[in-house]
Amino acid sequence: MIGRRPIAVLTAALSGIAAGGVLAEPAGAPETVGWTRTYVIEWYEPAMYYGADGGVISPGTDCPGGTHPSPDWVKVLMDAGYTREEAEWLRNPANPTRSAVHGQPGMAFRGKDRANVYDFPATATEAGLTPVSGTIARGLDLDDDPQTGFTSPDGGKGVDNNFYKALGCWKTYRGPPRMSSGAQGQNDGMREGAWTIVVVVSGSGADPMNDENVEVGFFHSRDKIVRDAMGNVARDYTFRIKPHERQEAIFRGETRDGVITARGVGNVVLRNPGADPELPLLGSRLELEMAPDGRLTGLIGGYRPWLPVYKGWIAGRGAVIEVLTWVEMPDVWYALRRYADYSPSGPGGEKSYISFALTVDAIPAFVMEPDGARQVARVKSYRVQAAPAAQRTDAAIARAHTHLTGGNVE
Amino acid sequence: MTKLVQGVRKYGLLAAAACAASGAMITHARLPAASPTLEGPVKVAARRVTESQYRNIIADTFGDWVQVNARFEPERRQDGLLAIGSTQLSITPVGFEQYYGAARSISDQVLSEGRRATTVPCTPRDAEQADDACAATFLRSYGERLFRRPLTEAQIDARLATARKGEDFYDGLELALTSLLIAPEFLFRIEVAEPDPSGAARLDGFTKASRIAFLMWDTGPDAELLAAAKSGALDTPEGLQRQVARLQASPRLADGVRAFFTDMLQLDAFEGLTKDASIYPKFSQTVADSAREETLRTVVDQLVTRNRDYRDLFVTRETWLNRSLAAVYKVPFVSQEEWAPYTFPEESGRSGLLTQVTFLSLFSHPGSSSPTKRGVKLYEIFFAQPTPDPPADVDFSKVQASSEGTVRMRLIEHMTNEGCAACHSVSDPVGLALEHFDSLGQVRMLEDGKPIDVSAVLNGKQVSGAQGVGQFMRDNPRVPATLVRNIYYYGVGRGFDERDETFFEQEAQAFAAAGYKVPALFGQIATSPYFMKVVIPSGAKPVPARPEQVATRHSADSRRGAAR
Repeated sequence: MIGRRPIAVLTAALSGIAAGGVLAEPAGAPETVGWTRTYVIEWYEPAMYYGADGGVISPGTDCPGGTHPSPDWVKVLMDAGYTREEAEWLRNPANPTRSAVHGQPGMAFRGKDRANVYDFPATATEAGLTPVSGTIARGLDLDDDPQTGFTSPDGGKGVDNNFYKALGCWKTYRGPPRMSSGAQGQNDGMREGAWTIVVVVSGSGADPMNDENVEVGFFHSRDKIVRDAMGNVARDYTFRIKPHERQEAIFRGETRDGVITARGVGNVVLRNPGADPELPLLGSRLELEMAPDGRLTGLIGGYRPWLPVYKGWIAGRGAVIEVLTWVEMPDVWYALRRYADYSPSGPGGEKSYISFALTVDAIPAFVMEPDGARQVARVKSYRVQAAPAAQRTDAAIARAHTHLTGGNVE
Repeated sequence: MTKLVQGVRKYGLLAAAACAASGAMITHARLPAASPTLEGPVKVAARRVTESQYRNIIADTFGDWVQVNARFEPERRQDGLLAIGSTQLSITPVGFEQYYGAARSISDQVLSEGRRATTVPCTPRDAEQADDACAATFLRSYGERLFRRPLTEAQIDARLATARKGEDFYDGLELALTSLLIAPEFLFRIEVAEPDPSGAARLDGFTKASRIAFLMWDTGPDAELLAAAKSGALDTPEGLQRQVARLQASPRLADGVRAFFTDMLQLDAFEGLTKDASIYPKFSQTVADSAREETLRTVVDQLVTRNRDYRDLFVTRETWLNRSLAAVYKVPFVSQEEWAPYTFPEESGRSGLLTQVTFLSLFSHPGSSSPTKRGVKLYEIFFAQPTPDPPADVDFSKVQASSEGTVRMRLIEHMTNEGCAACHSVSDPVGLALEHFDSLGQVRMLEDGKPIDVSAVLNGKQVSGAQGVGQFMRDNPRVPATLVRNIYYYGVGRGFDERDETFFEQEAQAFAAAGYKVPALFGQIATSPYFMKVVIPSGAKPVPARPEQVATRHSADSRRGAAR
C-alpha cells in the first residue's frame, strides 16, 4: 500500500493532476471523479513464465527440453519431397530466396503438392512445436474456475493462459521477463516511437487505494516515448491522447490495497505488442497494482482470436521468422488451433479464441485531452473523435515484422 | 606616425543625457578630470567577437540563409564576464583553421551561382575575368558591414589583388571575401580613439557605433548606425541619444539582452555540464539546451517583452517550458507549440531564476547538489562578490560523504575549520536554503531519508527556502547595483576601476528611479559619457590614417597653432 507522506502530497500538487469534470460516458460510469492517475506504458509483452534458473533458452520447469530447437531445415525440405540437392540449394544463402515469378520464398512450398505452407498450413505435416509442460503460468482466471488452468507463481489457482501453453517454448516468446526476442523487438519498436499507449485510471472515492468505482482506460497517444539517460523510458513526460477508431480499451472495477481488479467494458481492443498490431480481447479483465514507486504494473487478460496471431507472423516474412526463431510456421498454426479454448458462440462452437494475458508496466506520465489543452479528468471513450482508421493491411503487418527483425534479413 | 600625447586635460562634460526609453532626464556622472590627448587615431582595444556576434554579423550582412558551420574557440571568463576576457583573447592556429573553414564556406554560399545575382551589386564586364571596378563595389559594400567601418584604400587594394588571382571573376571575388572574413578587423572588435577638435581623446564614431550595437543588439552596426558614425552624429550627445533610442526601441534589443544574460549568468557552463545518469536519468543534452533556453526566454519575456522590474526575476513563478523541461519539473506540458509559458503554483517552492534548472543544475555536483557552489555563484554573479579558492590542505571527505546525514550537518562540521568558515559562513546559508532542489533542480523534501532544513539567516534576517532567498535577492539593493556594473563592464570590456564608483552609484540610483527597467538601463548606460570613456593602453598603436582623418588632424593642428 502506498504511504501518503507529505512529500507525496506536494508532488501531487506540483504535478497538477486534479479531479476533473463529470462526464456521462460510457453508460454506468461513476458520476463523480475523486482522483485520477495517468501513465504511459513503458513495456508490455505476452505473459510468459520462464521456469529455468538462468539464460534465455535453458531447460526449465516450463520447457524441460529447453527452448524448442531449431529444425534441420534440409531435413524439413526433404521430408516435404525435395531432393537433398534441391533442399541444400534452397538453404544456400547465395541463392535467391524469393521466386522471380511470384515473389514467394522458396521455403514456402513444402506443403502437400508443393502448396504454400504459410498460406495453407494444414497442407504441412505437423512436426510439433513443443508445448509448455509446466504447471505454473502468469495470467488471470478468465473463466472464474479455479479448477482449470495453471497455478500462478505466487500460488493462485485457475490461471487461464493457453497462449502460453501453446507458444511458451517457442524462442520468440520464451525467456525471463523482457528477455525474449519477440518482446524485445516489439518493445524496442514502441520505445523508438512506433506507437505510444497511455493509461488513465480514475475513481470516484476519496482513497485511490481502496475505491469501489474505478475505471482504467488504454489509449493511443500522438506523442512519442522519450528515453532517459539510462535507456529507460523517462517518467513524467506529457502525452496527448490520439483517438483511435478501434484500438481503445476501458475497464471498470475497484481497488483494494492499491490493486485494481476490473473487467472490460464494450469493445476492448488494445494495440498489440506483436506482429499483428491489433489485440481484441473477449471476457477481458485486468489486475494492476498502483505501486508505491508510482508505477502501474500487472496483467491484462482475455480471449484473443488465435488465427490473426498466426497470420501476423507469416505475413510477408514467414521464412525469416522460421529461421530466426527456430520454428516451422505450420506448427504454430497447429499449436494455436490445438490449445484454443474459447468460442464466442458458446461452448459447442468453434474455438477460435485462446486465453491470453499481457504483462503491463507503466510509469507516471501526464496525459492530455486530444487537443492538448487540459489534462484528462477521468476515463472516457474517444472513439467517436477518431478519424476513420486505415484498414489493417498486410503492409502494416509487414512493417511490424520489420520492427521485429530489424529489417535486415533476407 | 601618430604620437600619443602624454599630457592630460579636461574632457568636455556632458551635463545630462536623456533617458532613451522613458524620456526621463538622467543625470549621468561626470568623467574624472584626467583624460588623455591625442595627435592622431590609435587602437585602444581589440576584443574577439563572440560566436553569437559572429553569427549575427554574418546573418545581418548576407542574410540568415547563410549556414555557419564552425566550432568556435572557447572564451575566457575574467572578473565574472566573458566580455572582459574577450579583450585578452587571441586566435590559436587551430582556431584560425576553423575561422578559415567557416570563411570559405560562407564565401562559397554567398557567391554560389544561385545567389550571386542578388548578392553581388554589379555585373562584371566579363565573368571569365577579373573586374576591379565591380569587385571594389562588392568589397566596399560588404567590407564596411564586416569591418564595422569603411575599408581603407589599402585594404581594398589588397583584396583586389587577391581577387585577380581567381580563375574567373566570381572565383576571385570568393577569395577576396574569404580574405575579409579572416581579417583581424572582422574577427576582432578593434576600438580606435581619435583626437576631438580640441585634441582630447575620444572614441571614433565607428567604435561608438560598434559599442552600442554590440551592447544592444549583439551584432555590428547597421547601415543607419554606420552612417551616423560617418557623419559625426555619434560625436554629439543628441546624435548618440537618437541612435541609442532607435536600437532600444527595436525588437532586436532582445538579442542584446539575451547575449548579456548569457554572459552574466554564465550559461556557457552548460557546455561542460554532466550529471550522473544513474541518479539523474532525466538529464540529457536536450534538457541542458532547454534549460538554457528557458532561462533566456524568461529573462527576455520578463524584462524586455513585459518591461518588468528586474528584481522580480528573483520572485516570479512565471517561466517557459517545453516538453522535456516539463518532465523535469514534473508538471504537464499544456501546449501544441514547442514552448509555452507556465506559472508554478505557490506551493511549488519555486522562486525565479534561482529555482530554474539552469542555476540549480549548473552550480551543483554531477551526483549531488552543492549548497556551497550555489552560494558561491549566487554572490559572484548577482553581487560581484567572488570567493577565493579553498586552501590546499582542506579535507573534503566529510563534506563529500553523502551517505552521512544531510549536507547541512556535514557543512556545519566542515565549518569548524576556521580557515573554511570565513567563506562558508557567507556562501553556505543561501545555498542551504535552496536544498529543496536536487542537482537537476527537481523538488525533494528528504535527503538520505531525513527532512531537509531550508532555514537560513541572510544579512541577519531569518529566511526559509528558495522563496525566502528570492525575496532576499529582490530586496537587496546590491543586486540591481551589480547589474548596472555588469552591463557597463560587458559593454566596455573592462572590469572594476575604483574611479568609476561615483558613476555606478548615480547610474544605480537612476535605474532605481526608473523602476528597475532593463531596456531603459541599456539605453541609460549606452548614452553615458563613461560608456565612451577612452582608456589609452600603454603601447597603443596608431591607426593608418584615412584621408578624412588626416584632414581632421590637420585642421585640429592648425586650430591649436592659431590658438598659440
